[in-house]
Amino acid sequence: MKLLRGVRSAYASCRAFVQKRPAVKFTLSALVWLPLASAVIEYGVSVKTVRGRSMQPTLNPDDSLWKDIVLFDTFAIKFRHDYKRGDIVALKSPVDSKLIVKRIIALEGDTVKTLPPYPDAEVCVPPGHAWVEGDEPFRTEDSNRFGPVPLGLIESRLAYILWPWDRIGPLGKPLIPRHDAVVGSPDWRRSKAELEREKRRQSRVTIADSSSS
Amino acid sequence: MLFGRFARQAIGSWKTLLSLRPRDVVHFCRVHRRSIGYWSLQTINFACFLHLFGEHVATLSYVEGPSMMPTMSMNGELTLELKRINPAELKRGDLVTYISPLDPTRRVCKRVTGLPGDVVCVDPTGQYAPSTEHVVIPRNHLWVTGDNLPYSRDSRMYGPVPFGLVKGKLYARVLPWRDRGVFRNTFEYID
Repeated sequence: MKLLRGVRSAYASCRAFVQKRPAVKFTLSALVWLPLASAVIEYGVSVKTVRGRSMQPTLNPDDSLWKDIVLFDTFAIKFRHDYKRGDIVALKSPVDSKLIVKRIIALEGDTVKTLPPYPDAEVCVPPGHAWVEGDEPFRTEDSNRFGPVPLGLIESRLAYILWPWDRIGPLGKPLIPRHDAVVGSPDWRRSKAELEREKRRQSRVTIADSSSS
Repeated sequence: MLFGRFARQAIGSWKTLLSLRPRDVVHFCRVHRRSIGYWSLQTINFACFLHLFGEHVATLSYVEGPSMMPTMSMNGELTLELKRINPAELKRGDLVTYISPLDPTRRVCKRVTGLPGDVVCVDPTGQYAPSTEHVVIPRNHLWVTGDNLPYSRDSRMYGPVPFGLVKGKLYARVLPWRDRGVFRNTFEYID
């Protein structure tokens, strides 16, 4: 009974302390909503900064002054399990469990022609795995080094570029030379090069028929 | 508490709850329009809190299937699973849960038998590989096997499991109640 009274008085004094200070009261009432906010970040969308050069020139190109700030869509991966070839995803590296950003090249059943550090010339991606690569083959640690990765390591899909204002926009499949770009202009050359890279990527992958469903 | 007070105001006593008509519900919603939105958001917030607690701190999880047969019965057991773990601090003999490398929607439970740097025999039973084959477990990976080797799909089939897939560690058995207790590490080292 005595203990109960002690708890009660402690609660009352805490309450009085909070009521007297609007700043503390405001902070506490905001903190109450923390679980909702962190659930949205963990299962919905989150904003992250991309470091490193492995996804050049799609992300962090050399002529950009800022690091890219991007929007990752976790919902599509964790709930819908929507893995597509060509999507840029964030995954936990099998080598050191750090978050890395790579592009899905092939899914289960596909046959990929590998690049040099990998011991075999061709590899068939096992069930439940994906083949991920960076866009810049010389500065990336990807499946050519550690082999196909389990889909469970993939955390989120890159949905939108938020910051460098000249590249703001969703990351879909533009990849057609822009019709409004003047032939020979930097824009036109860039989109042409992008198309070229996409073609080269696709030429290395033989897509399995059954996994299309 | 506050919601209870509102409810009591609206419906009088709990006995009238039995004769609740749709019209009453509509009336209640109309009277407390603002607070209903607030309190449903609070409820969602609390549900998020419970879920995040279960994902990151500890949760009760149900384990079933034949692959861990002598340790876990096939009919299923309720266990206490710790989620706040560092995969690098796991020991040989711990029971871990991880996302199956074969299917990202499945969680499986197996026993750790090899840590990074260990040399393990791929399959002593000769079921998936010849019993003379040995591998070194790479950095940041674990070797996991079921206790019931003939009915288990584990590292013998898909190789070492990266730390990134490991989600938790089974700590104690809760149900069936007479078998309750902390899981003991069953590994004995022979010099």
